[in-house]
Amino acid sequence: MIRYYFLLGIRSLRRNPLLTALMVLTLSIGVAASVSTLTILHVMSGDPIPQKSSRLIFPLMDNGPVKGYVPGEKPNDHQLSYQDSINLLNSKQGERRSAMYGVEMSIEPSRKDIIPLTASGNASTRDFFAMFDTPFLYGGAWEAESDNKAADVVVLGRALSEKLFGNIDPVGQHLTMIGQEFKIVGVLDTWEPSPRYYRYTGRSAAFGVYDEFFIPFSTAIRHEITHDGGMSCSGDTEPGWQGRLKSECTWIHFWFELKSASQRQELLSYLDNYTSEQNKLGRFKRQAKNRIFNVMEWLEETKVVGNDNRLSAWLAFGFLILCLVNTIGLLLAKFSVRASEVGVRRALGASRKEIFTQFLIESSVIGLAGGIIGLLLAFGALALIGLQSKQLTVVAHMDWQMLGLTFIMSVCAALLAGLFPTWRACQVTPAIQLKSQ
Amino acid sequence: MLRMKSLSKVYRTHLIETHALRGFDIHVKEGEFVTVTGPSGSGKTTFLNIAGLLEEFNDGDYLLDGINVKGMNDNARTRLRNEKLGFIFQGFNLIPDLNLFDNVDVPLRYRGFNTAERKERIEAALAQVGLASRMKHHPAELSGGQQQRVAIARALAGSPKVLLADEPTGNLDTQMARSVMELLEEINAKGTTILMVTHDPELAVRAQRNVHIIDGQVSDLVRRMPSLYDTKAEADSANEDQRSAVA
Repeated sequence: MIRYYFLLGIRSLRRNPLLTALMVLTLSIGVAASVSTLTILHVMSGDPIPQKSSRLIFPLMDNGPVKGYVPGEKPNDHQLSYQDSINLLNSKQGERRSAMYGVEMSIEPSRKDIIPLTASGNASTRDFFAMFDTPFLYGGAWEAESDNKAADVVVLGRALSEKLFGNIDPVGQHLTMIGQEFKIVGVLDTWEPSPRYYRYTGRSAAFGVYDEFFIPFSTAIRHEITHDGGMSCSGDTEPGWQGRLKSECTWIHFWFELKSASQRQELLSYLDNYTSEQNKLGRFKRQAKNRIFNVMEWLEETKVVGNDNRLSAWLAFGFLILCLVNTIGLLLAKFSVRASEVGVRRALGASRKEIFTQFLIESSVIGLAGGIIGLLLAFGALALIGLQSKQLTVVAHMDWQMLGLTFIMSVCAALLAGLFPTWRACQVTPAIQLKSQ
Repeated sequence: MLRMKSLSKVYRTHLIETHALRGFDIHVKEGEFVTVTGPSGSGKTTFLNIAGLLEEFNDGDYLLDGINVKGMNDNARTRLRNEKLGFIFQGFNLIPDLNLFDNVDVPLRYRGFNTAERKERIEAALAQVGLASRMKHHPAELSGGQQQRVAIARALAGSPKVLLADEPTGNLDTQMARSVMELLEEINAKGTTILMVTHDPELAVRAQRNVHIIDGQVSDLVRRMPSLYDTKAEADSANEDQRSAVA
């Protein structure tokens, strides 16, 4: 019977085409608005590394001065100082550890037809690649020895590699960066985590901005390559590079990879002991509570998805509800003219339940039609949103989940809108309708 | 086949009570063709609606094919209606956007027949009313008489025990009315019990029995009238008697 009702539903679309078109359009506009904003929210708030996001832990230790500190207040800064980063790298905590900071370096291509350029990259330890499951197109990560010796080695991102060398494997070749010869040890395949969670430097750089190369953390320190991003300093700082390294300035991101998420508490205890020891040495005077975050908690903490995104989604939902109310009115009109048909069907043996099912399925057919049109409108809306900026281009794209959600949302919305009109249709007294014909 | 005993039906509003049927008794035997006549507002349609399980009654008993329908819930009455009864209405009540095949298919769908059986029954029913060649036509493409034939086919397709007809010729001209009446007589001759409400005395006398209703009560049970298969002389004589009785 479901198939029969479905076919009746399709047939009923042809009846009263203007009313049907109005309903489908109303529904599709509401669905498109919701799906567009939800898609952006979904992409922005999605888990960028679901296979291990609960095991990747970002530590936060407040080394700020006591002056002006209100106990319990959460620090705005989300980075660590150099000395804490080095201490944690040596801590042997977790399965892997990686300190990192953003760098910007000049590059002199060996090919004469390419002019010198500046590229943005990430200075990190070798563990970075295994920790974040980066895919390699050629070669691999540098050896641990390169970290220890601060070797001039580089892993290129695919885009930069193709820009500089074309489609060949450049591993083993040298690249002049900041006037030094860096040996290419690997090339990453396309790797565009959205958001760029491992080094969060604000929402503007979270989407559509990718590191073009990777060099050892120790190498960047040796070459005194300044960081590309925010830095928070308090108290007196000695001048020069060494002064920065000894200071309480925070400018480095740090990640642990645990064997299992259950090791969190163990890690937190370690950090508490660490800050306690450092306190005895005259540091961490705020004695603030240390905090650790897995990837999703980290995205929440750094507010990658802003309140404005959430507000947009709520507004779009409000609009969908408005569309639903309109659809209810239109369905009431559509079904009320079918009272005689209901009377006939009831007389011929349809129970109220069967009438209810038939009309609800008709509503869902309208929902499906609304879903198809809504999907097209959503694609259009997302394309328009994507035109606004590079960051929005990255988040304004639909995946299979959202595609499915569009249809589910549309059908559910139509079913919801159809409930009252369908219930009303079921209340038809057949005897009255049959005589009134 | 159909028996009502001391049946009453009262319509109530907050201001008035209308007794549509009171102490209503009737017994229709299997294979009978009974016409129901009476002035407007006498309770003919109420009787037919109750007989067709489309309305509930307040008091009394109603047995349909031996089943007491008193107190039955809506689902049970719907099922019984689908299995035992066929309906023909004055306004034909075909579903305009379904073709003839699909219109006749409606009660069979609810009956749960499989595709092959439904197809067989639909084709047979439409053939019986002479419209087998127009299965794919829509009701709007047919004359009134043809539409009523489709309605008859729809009523017959499920092989009902009783055919309930509410002024089936009311919207038809005399010639078409006669043709529909002849079709009903044929159907009755094959064993289907027919209960037909009519205002037309000429049609009323053609049935085997005429029941006259006044003020919600059976006022007159006219004697058995001849059927199609009686001799012409018997029929003429019986019709003459019937006309005087109804008048």
